[in-house]
Amino acid sequence: MSLLDFARGPAMQWSLIILVVGVTWRLFGALLLMKKKDLSKAKVESTTGASISTVFNRFWPKPQFAAQMSITLLLAYTMHIGLFVVVFLFSPHITLITDMTGLSWSGLSGGVVMFFGAITLASMIALLIRRLTSPVLKMISTPGDYISWLITALPVLTGLMAHAHFGGPYETVLAIHMLTVELLFIWFPFSKLMHAFLFIPSRAKLGAVFGRRGVKI
Amino acid sequence: MIDMERFGQFREGIKGLGSMAVPSTLSDDEKIAKAKQVFFRKIDSNMAIGLESCIHCGHCASACHFHEGTGDAKYTPIRKLELLKRFYRRELSPMRWLHRLYTRDVTTQDLMQWQELVYDSCTECGRCSQICPMGINIAAGVNVMREAMADAQMIPDELAAVEQEQCQGTLFGFGHDQFIEAVDAFRGQGLDIPLDKDKADILLLTTVVDITLFTDAFISTVKVMNNLGVNWTLRSCNFEAANFGLLSGYEALQKQASDGIIKEAISIGAKIVITPECGHAYPALRWDGANEYGQPLPFDVLAISEFLGQQVNAGNLKLKPLGKDKKFTMHDPCKIARHGGVIDEPRAVINALGVDFIETESSGENNWCCGGGAGVFLINRASDLREKAFSIKINQVNDTGADTVVMSCGSCRLNFISGADNANWNKNIESLVVLVAENLAD
Repeated sequence: MSLLDFARGPAMQWSLIILVVGVTWRLFGALLLMKKKDLSKAKVESTTGASISTVFNRFWPKPQFAAQMSITLLLAYTMHIGLFVVVFLFSPHITLITDMTGLSWSGLSGGVVMFFGAITLASMIALLIRRLTSPVLKMISTPGDYISWLITALPVLTGLMAHAHFGGPYETVLAIHMLTVELLFIWFPFSKLMHAFLFIPSRAKLGAVFGRRGVKI
Repeated sequence: MIDMERFGQFREGIKGLGSMAVPSTLSDDEKIAKAKQVFFRKIDSNMAIGLESCIHCGHCASACHFHEGTGDAKYTPIRKLELLKRFYRRELSPMRWLHRLYTRDVTTQDLMQWQELVYDSCTECGRCSQICPMGINIAAGVNVMREAMADAQMIPDELAAVEQEQCQGTLFGFGHDQFIEAVDAFRGQGLDIPLDKDKADILLLTTVVDITLFTDAFISTVKVMNNLGVNWTLRSCNFEAANFGLLSGYEALQKQASDGIIKEAISIGAKIVITPECGHAYPALRWDGANEYGQPLPFDVLAISEFLGQQVNAGNLKLKPLGKDKKFTMHDPCKIARHGGVIDEPRAVINALGVDFIETESSGENNWCCGGGAGVFLINRASDLREKAFSIKINQVNDTGADTVVMSCGSCRLNFISGADNANWNKNIESLVVLVAENLAD
């Protein structure tokens, strides 16, 4: 079995199994912890609206906080949008997803996707520099933050290399690219990358807590 | 206006408060065991999701008055939950089987180190939750930390002293008998106080601070209640709204204090219980009271500012306009506004006063904390921290150009007066209820 066959076969299958099982385990393991009913009299009849609005309105800071967050916000949005384009709008990726799920959609040209890949990587490097230099971020960062950065950056970097036919035989670089993606799948449920799922219950719960008190959150 | 000489005596009294605390007799093993019991009991799904969610973005630091006032990264709000997170990862997290391999256990030394972070440098104001992109309720986590520290008897001496005293039934040496004497003295000044009525629609609470220091707030509240002509009373056995169980984190005291009020209100058939200008008294009864009591409350709990606003809006409370040449701004107490949703009501009162009202840049649920809440005002070693945090408030008020800042919280008022005194800041610091009583239309 070649390295590429391994990456396309058992490595892909097992990493996806770990991803799905791990995400489900971590999400429901926390969600299913007991919670006492709040007996205080709520100011609103239902907190559903507050939960839903908090899930969405936290995508953008309140005006009072926008100035403090502007640079990070710009970098974070660049990175996230870039990752979305690279992962979901690159034709070979769409083909792979179609093979696995049957779903398909049109992608962008390779050049455009590579541009997004490059700015994704650039924004990630800027975010890393910020993490390494900001006193607050240095104080609260853990090894997991740096590992997550590396494991997220590697597939982008190797993807760019594969597309540019750079760094060795195409099949080898492609296999390495796939293996880095699979490493990300495996790391994902154990890391802060889980925020891709956790942001929904976390924001919704805060919205419910403050919503029942009649507070805009 | 309050008696500044008495205020000075009050501040001096606080300096000796810590020496009155009875030291803990618990061993280190007992302390950590008690703290962990609280962690186990209090980490529910809401807390767990929050502890799972942090992406270490650090934005909460810029929302925190202690971080912004000092510039010290150690006051980053989410860092205050590090021990709670560590415990959660090892003991309750779905991935605990993995985390245990490399996550250190929490020790009493860790808790001791964190005392400054969860008491001196956190008022549980919750502003950090307004900025957190993941929506983590950091203040709730700090409260769990405080509850664990309190059960482990590892709280700052000043709070321990007051907590221990309230467990015995008095606060600052003031209990039932002293309250009766004080009411008699107020009656001697011509104030009509309906004390210990068997039945009343409204149970009014007060605080020892209002009876002894902010007497203007107490007298004003009585005048306003009488002006409204409502059927109200104060009860001498359960007059105290302050709940140092909530502030220190000692839940047994919190329950004892709020249960006493709840039973009193039920016994007199009260439909409404009004908490005075005391920030934490409101959430202690309004949001935690029923949960401590174990069943929903058969009455409404209103903060005095909320009650006044409702009365103004209903047309029951008419005020004389002060004129647009008066420039007022408002400081929203965190526990009443951000944690209680009482934001429009005090503004209705100020607007009824007909002044030029100017909002601070960040107000209402986004307001900056004054830095003295959640018992921090009593912690002597935190005075520098408080002053630095208060400098934000000074700038915030100065930027409005207002000459008067209005608030409806005794703790905030204490901190404002103290902070203004330290900084030679000359704004008028006014109590909302005092303004109302001074400007009743008839």
